[in-house]
This record gives sequence, C-alpha cells and structure tokens, in this order.
Amino acid sequence: MTTSDNTPSTGGPSGVSGTKSALPMFFWAWGILTVIGVLLSVFVPHRYMPHMMSNDGNLAVTTTILFSICAAPVAAGVYAASLHILRAYRYRGEGVPPAAPQIRENTKLLVTWLTASAVLTVFVLVWGLGALAAENSSSGNPVVVDVTGQQWVWTFSYPGTHVVSNELYLPDNREVEFRVTSEDVNHGFWVPNFGVQVDANPGVWTTIHTTPDKLGTIEVRCEQFCGLNHAFMDAVGHVVTPSQFSAWLASQPARA
Amino acid sequence: MTTTLEHTATTSSSKAGGLARHQNFATAVICGVVLAWVFWYLSRLLFWQGSDNFSDQSAIMLGAGWMFGFWIGIGAFNAPFQWLFGRDNSHDDNMYYAGKDLGRARYWKYTTDHKVVGVQYIIVTMSLLGVGGILAMAIRTELIVPGTHFVNQQVYNGFIAIHGMVMILALIVAVSGPWANFVMPIMIGARDMAFPRLNALSLWTLVSAAVLLVSVLAVGGLPVGWVVLGTIGDQAGVGMDFFALAIATFTVSTTVASINTITTSLSMRTKGMTLNRLPIFVWGSLVTAALALYAFPFFFVAELDQILDRATSTSFYVAGGGGSAWLQANLFWLMGHPEVYVILIPAVAALFEISSVMARKPVFSYRTAIGAMVALGGLSALVWAHHMFTAGWAPTLGGPFMVTTELISIPTGIFFLVLVGTLWRGNVWMKLPTLWMFGFIFNFIIGGITGIYLSDVPLDEQLHGTMFVTAHFHYIFVGSVLFGAIAALAYWFPKVSGRFLDEKLGRYSFWLVFVGVQITFGAMFLSGLKGMPRRDASYTLAFEHTNFISTVGAYVIMSGMLILLGAVITSWRKGEASGPNPWHANSLEWQVPTPVPLENFDVEPIITEDPYNFDKEEPVHV
Repeated sequence: MTTSDNTPSTGGPSGVSGTKSALPMFFWAWGILTVIGVLLSVFVPHRYMPHMMSNDGNLAVTTTILFSICAAPVAAGVYAASLHILRAYRYRGEGVPPAAPQIRENTKLLVTWLTASAVLTVFVLVWGLGALAAENSSSGNPVVVDVTGQQWVWTFSYPGTHVVSNELYLPDNREVEFRVTSEDVNHGFWVPNFGVQVDANPGVWTTIHTTPDKLGTIEVRCEQFCGLNHAFMDAVGHVVTPSQFSAWLASQPARA
Repeated sequence: MTTTLEHTATTSSSKAGGLARHQNFATAVICGVVLAWVFWYLSRLLFWQGSDNFSDQSAIMLGAGWMFGFWIGIGAFNAPFQWLFGRDNSHDDNMYYAGKDLGRARYWKYTTDHKVVGVQYIIVTMSLLGVGGILAMAIRTELIVPGTHFVNQQVYNGFIAIHGMVMILALIVAVSGPWANFVMPIMIGARDMAFPRLNALSLWTLVSAAVLLVSVLAVGGLPVGWVVLGTIGDQAGVGMDFFALAIATFTVSTTVASINTITTSLSMRTKGMTLNRLPIFVWGSLVTAALALYAFPFFFVAELDQILDRATSTSFYVAGGGGSAWLQANLFWLMGHPEVYVILIPAVAALFEISSVMARKPVFSYRTAIGAMVALGGLSALVWAHHMFTAGWAPTLGGPFMVTTELISIPTGIFFLVLVGTLWRGNVWMKLPTLWMFGFIFNFIIGGITGIYLSDVPLDEQLHGTMFVTAHFHYIFVGSVLFGAIAALAYWFPKVSGRFLDEKLGRYSFWLVFVGVQITFGAMFLSGLKGMPRRDASYTLAFEHTNFISTVGAYVIMSGMLILLGAVITSWRKGEASGPNPWHANSLEWQVPTPVPLENFDVEPIITEDPYNFDKEEPVHV
C-alpha cells in the first residue's frame, strides 16, 4: 500500500473539479453550521424539556445542553465535509469518472481524528461519572415514600404515618427517597419534572432519590410497558412547603 | 431475471433430485399445516386441559409441528436421511439442488446456489419490511391525535411488539442476507458458500419463523412490547408462545448462517486473496457473523426459558419460584446490543465498498476501518446493561457500563473518517448508491450522537423509556441501516438482474424517505424530550403537535418506500441493461458475466492486489 499521496490533481479530463479553491468554503460552512447547532443546543432543551423542579431535573437539562454543544462542531464538521464533497468533488462529466488521486492513508489526519474523539469521549465520561457520583451521595434524613405500581394505578404511602394516597405530596428543599415496588408486572416509576425514574419490579424494592427545589404540580408516569391501560397509568403530585406538607399528612385519614 | 436458463432435459438428469423434484414452497406450507394440526391433536392427548382447546402447551406443539412440517415439506431433511440410509447424492442430484436448468422454479425451492439464496433473502427482507411497515403506519395513524380512535389500545398494544420484532428480523438480514450470500462468495473467488445446504437451511428456517411470527397477529397480537419483560410476558396469550418459538427458530437460522459465512470467508478464498487484499465488505461480513454467533445463542436461551416457564412448571423468570425477570432482561440484552451491530456493520461495510468505487479512490485507512469494525464488535458484547440503567438491577454497574458504552463512539467516529476520507478529493459519481450513502452519513451522525445522551446514566434517568429513545434508534435503523441497505441494493442490483435500478424513481424515493425521516423522527425527539413515554396508545395534549408532525412524516416515508418498491419491480423486469461491470469496479463479482453462471468461475481467478487501485487501464486480476 502506498502512503499518502499529496500530488494535486492535474487538470485531467473534463468534469474533474479543482480542489484548492473551494476549501475556505468548507471552513465557513463548518463555522456557520456549528453556530446554528450551538443555538439549537441552547434553545431546544429549554423550550421542550419539562418544567424541572429538582436538582436531578436541572442536571438533565444542563447535560442535554452541554452534550448538544459538544456535538455541534462534530456534526457540523461532517455536514460541512459532505457539502464540500458534493460541491468540489462531484464528477460533472459524462460516463465513468476517471481515477482520483489514489490516497490510501493519512497518518496525521487519523491521529488527529482519534485524539479529538478520545478527548471528547473522556470529557463526556468525566462529566457523566461525576454527576453519577453526586447523584448517588445522599444528604441523610430524607422523606421516605413507598411507591407501589399495579395495573394501572400508582399508590404512595408514607412509612411511619399510615398515610396512603394516590396523589403524591412532597416537601420543598428536602431530599426524598422513593422506594419502589410492584404488585403485579413491571412498571416504570418516572417523574419527568424531577428527571428520575426507576422500574417497579414485583417482589423487589428499588430506590431512587432526588431533592425537589421548586413548588408546584408534578406528573408521575409509567415508562415500562405494563399492559392494556399502560398509556393511562399517570398520577399527579405536588411539591409544597414543609408546613403545608405536615398539614397534608395530618389531614389524611389513616387507611392502615 | 433477464434470461431464464434453458431447460435441457437429458437422460442423465431427468431423474436427478429424487424427492426434491416434487418439493417447493407450496408443499412446505401444506406439510407444515398438516403436521401443525397433528401436533396440536397430540398435545390434547398429552396435556389434557379440559375444555381448553388452545392452551400454551398446544400452541407450542402446534408451532413446533408447523416448523418440522415446513422443513420436511421444503426438503431440508432429504439429503441427511439419504446419507443415513447409505445413499449419497449423485453429481446430478447436487446440480438439481443447485437449481440447474430449473428456471424461476428454483426461487421457490430448497436451492443451494448462493445466488438463488441471495435473491430469496431480498424477497424475504422486502416482505418483512412490508409487514412491519404496515404495522408502523397503523401505529403512527393511531398516534395522529390524542385518544384512541383508529385502533383501540388492545390492538395497538398487540401491534407494537410485532412491528418491532418483524423490523428487527428484516434489518438483521437486510444486507447480510442478500449480499453476504449473493456477492461475498464471488468477491473472494469461490464457487459457492462452504456449506451450500446449510445456506438453504438458514433461509428456509428464517421463512418458517417469519410466518409463525406474523401469524401472532391472527391470535390477538402480542400486547407486551418487543423486549417482552418476563412479568408482562406471563400475562400474554398464545401469541407469546408462537413469538418465543419463532424467535428461537430464528436464532437457529442466524447461527447456521454465521457458521457458513465465517467458514466461507476464511477458507474458500481463491489463490492470492490474502486477508490484506480482502474486499472490506467481506471483512464486514466476517465480523458480523462472528458477532452473531456470539450473540444469538443468548436469545435462544432467553426464549427457551420463556417457553418452558409458560408450558411447563419451570420458573426461570418467576420470582415466586426462585427465578428473576432480570434474568430474562439480561439474556435479552446480551443478545440485543450485539445485535444492533450485527445490523449496522454490514451496512457500513457495504458503504465502504460503494464509497471507494463511486469516488474512484481506495478505501481510506482500510486497516483502521477493519480495526474499527472489530473493536465495535468486541465492545458491543460489553455494553448490554445500558439498557437496564433504570431497571433497578445492579446500580453499581452503572458507571462501568457508561464507560464501555461511550467508548463505542471512538470506532463509530472512525466510520465517518473512512467514509468522508474516501470521498474527499475523489471524483464522486452521483448515482443512486452514492445518494443513499450521503443520506446515511447525514442520519447516522444524528442517530449516533443522540446515543451518547442515553449512555449518560443521570440523563438516561430522564430519557429512558421515552420517545427520545425511539427516535434515536429509528435514526439508526431507518435513517442509517435502511439507507445503507438501499444503497447496497442499488449498487449490486445490476449484478443480480443485469439491469440498473431506475435512477429517476430511485431519486424520488430517496428525497421522500430522507425528508420523511427528518420530519417523523425529528419531531419524535421533541416528543421524547417533552416527556412522552414509548409504547403509549394515547397521550396528553402536551404532545399533540409533535405527534401530528411525526405521523405526517411517516406517510411521506411510506410513499417513498412504495415508489422504491415500484422501482425494484419495474427495473427488474424491464430496466436499462447494465452489462457485467456498470460501475467499472475491480472486485471479482464485477469481473464475472451477468447473469452469473452456476459456480461463478470457469477458471479459479488468481489475485495479485486488492481491488481498490483505480489508477490503471484495465482490471487485471482475472
């Protein structure tokens, strides 16, 4: 195999385009597409992701934005290169195109490419592993909520209080630990506004925790297919002030 | 086909083939149905269930009867039984099995010629895409507005698993089936696959499994979602039994095909066809087959346990009996993630081949490209638990599986380097295969990058189980793999049919499918970001606009695919004649005549260099 051949294409048969003149356009396209990508990265997640009301929810939005910004120059580079190829290297003549420069390898380019993708991968990994470690550390003294899924209802109970409800109430600014199980098949306990989810498995307790940081209404959805009415297995929840939360607990009838 | 082989009945061959002379697809179906009934009747004697005529046991017996009957009827057991009774096939018998002088009838028989098997795979792939596509349109139509209008949620739930699994089957065979069979042996200078009868076996076991899988729709569908988590699977009706049996049989088909591909690509190479000169598509087929051989046995075990749990008193997946639904999830994804690369790698390898020929340049970084395919295959065996980040199973594994999953982006990045590097400074010939290749590049970037979002455990706890995931893997499967498969079809179509795939219809089809994919799955990303779960028959008003847009896009894709189907049918019958080497490529499949004669080569070719040197007057290696 020959190594890189840098001889510029010599005039050649009609239909073969020049290569040098169009190259600045590639960098312009790369730049412009990157800017468009970054703008989309900032606006789309804010516009479309749910109203986030917990630390994990905020992290989900931040991570989406960050990854999108990192991805913008990569995708833009490939798109700009494709446009450049279509513009500068498309064969416009009749019949079979003549042979192009027989370049087989370019070690410099390969090393650059591998380094860039490795750096981006490591960055994404460090970010993700850091966030995972932070998420797994508990502040202690959480409100515990036992969540039980059954076809096709969510039930929330508060250990030590005898309170059982189909609506979820949580105090603001205090860690909550959801202990999740199922009465029948697998369900998926998901609070889109909190950015956390875990499966409800029959006969097993799984846990997940988060800290609500805004007052308001939240939604609970099932994200694991669970049969006929899966699409309608929703519940409503409320993040309230600690005093409202205590008042709500006290007002509930004891349903042993 | 352009020319049908002359029927030359000579005295020596008039009785060749024996029983196989009377066997074809029709006798296979008849035998299958008859034996299915016999097995069902026996099951009632064996497991008497009172008035229950259609218990899990009888459903499984019925399904097994269909399979065995079909295989007997098509002739899969002829030669092994003859051998057992001490009578080997004569040369004329083997020629009959290879389809000599049989004309079109050979496409409906247990034919051993690899080119016939390749064409049969094209037909099977297109049929499966058709069934899966109709289900996709039913799903998208139901989701056009909130509420359940078009199909009720029971029917909808029954459709989603079959849509998913039919499409997965179609894509697993979409590139490997037609092209690792039709062109791969010719590319390496072989006269057929290493095991021609196993080749026919893999095709016809696939057909028997596909028929059973689609027949699930007739017994109420499969309201469980395509991953069939153990606990919800227990609630499903007899469709689940058919499903499990069909998948177990399908894994037999892929295993047989993998063994054949590995043996062929390694041991049937002609003189001078060293591994360094191997066309890169052959490398891709080899890596894919090795990966499939590792992955699909997990699927077989997963389904076998499911069948035993349902029909007998075992409890592999039943928590009360000491089993675990997480066992099922692990077995499923141990297969499920390598399988994604079993689907992807052949499409990418075919595009490497196409990019080189269409740009008139060698494959850029040939060895690195092979390394990337091998690395991807290896890594894909170590990432399965990223599908279970939110299952609650083994939270400690979240970090390690995040690492292995994100490392995948490095070999994937090399794929882009190779494709773009090959096209760069080329003289790019903008024919149909090239057009679909650019579509692949555009979509694969989107599908690939969104995978990184899902590999991040904290972010996956928001996006898992949402339409974002659905959009991500549809950009991979439809936007990338299907585009690659269509590029491969357009590229090798002249070798199969002697005619070009209609350029004009192909371009209409490309633009419709390309734009349709952006509309459908672009809007689906937004539904997912907003928080719409997958597999829901209905949704709240918040997701109204994005779903409406997705459904409109789906109809655009459908119209493009129908035009492509029209292009394939009309071009096959009366397209523009192409000659044996329309792309002026150097690899061996283009150096043999079209239609390719039985056994491909008169004289074994001798290879002196790889097929990527375009800077010379004449192809030299035949």
